[in-house]
Amino acid sequence: MAALRAEDFTALQMLLKAPSKDAVRQLCQECFSSPPAALGPLAQRACPGLAVSAQEAEQLVSALHNLTRHVVYRGLTRAEDILCLFPENFHQNLKNLLTKIILENVSAWRNEAQASQISLPRLVDMDWRVDIKTSSDSIARMAVPTCLLQLKIQEDAALCGNNPVVSALTMELSKETLDTMLEGLGRIRDQLSAVANK
Amino acid sequence: MGLLNFTRDPVPEAVSGDMHNLNQLSAQQFSALTEVLFRFLTEPKEVERFLTQLSDFATMNKISLGPLKNIVKSILLVPNGALKRNLSSEQVRADFIALGLSEEKASYFAEQWKVHSPTLTRLAVGQTLMINQLIDMEWKFGVTAGSSELEKVGSIFLQLKLVIKKGSQLENVYVELTLPQFYSFLHEMERVKTSLESFS
Repeated sequence: MAALRAEDFTALQMLLKAPSKDAVRQLCQECFSSPPAALGPLAQRACPGLAVSAQEAEQLVSALHNLTRHVVYRGLTRAEDILCLFPENFHQNLKNLLTKIILENVSAWRNEAQASQISLPRLVDMDWRVDIKTSSDSIARMAVPTCLLQLKIQEDAALCGNNPVVSALTMELSKETLDTMLEGLGRIRDQLSAVANK
Repeated sequence: MGLLNFTRDPVPEAVSGDMHNLNQLSAQQFSALTEVLFRFLTEPKEVERFLTQLSDFATMNKISLGPLKNIVKSILLVPNGALKRNLSSEQVRADFIALGLSEEKASYFAEQWKVHSPTLTRLAVGQTLMINQLIDMEWKFGVTAGSSELEKVGSIFLQLKLVIKKGSQLENVYVELTLPQFYSFLHEMERVKTSLESFS
């Protein structure tokens, strides 16, 4: 998490050349959502619309990325907190505009950050079915209920980029296994309530 | 010999000779041998122990081990077939008599069969094919304090490690659930339990 530097604020003033407030808004959103590696291409796309050189575009995009990510990282939600990030001599109207745009988006951006945080593979869906086994090679007649459980698991979003890999795992549980599992899940629930009630 | 219950295939020739030899054993000897056999049937993994007990029986009763093993092989044909075909103890008795065993010994064996068949049935059901059987589940839950994107998070996560038997190998599967997902999962599993219980 790069700290905000003086150069960043200098670069941000190039936004004064932006064609409209909406263009600024759009750029803010793109800069936040873009991972650091994709900032280069983003700068190239933004360059013509801003009438700045390629190098200036890169600096601007990087600065906007740092600013938006910094606000989300620190969890700033009040206008005063965001306004005081800017240096004294920063253009007043631009400062107010940026603060307004950031405040509009900070909640959605926070959710986006949480959703893309690293984790073990995530459960995305689960389905089940109960079958009755009536016969097998070891015994001709029986009536044994069994459960088939299918879990859809998504690999870590950060590793897969835009194409998350979802795998389906189907497993079989006997009644005894299910009872043991429920016992374990019940204990988790009890501990969660104990934590919640503290 | 009439139609047998425990098998549709023709019985090996040696079997009637083996039954004849069995008839020569005293009631006590037959009872001891039967006990050894059922102990093996209810614990089929204990092969070493079974062979040792057979060998002891042979020595104690002055019988050669070789012929004894053949006799045992013949006897075991019946309970193995009976288990597969869910035979009653009367049917087991009838089959032994048809093979040439004395009525007294056949009735005794059938009685023992009745006593042990719940255990044996449970064993056979346990051996039935299971696809990707869930063997074990470990879990931990905690709080995410912060991340590289968010200084303060404070959200609860739950991690499960599922041990699945795929063929003969064990595979570990790691999954993370959010709190709402956990409650939903628990709710679904309780529904499964209700469903399984209504069919038991």
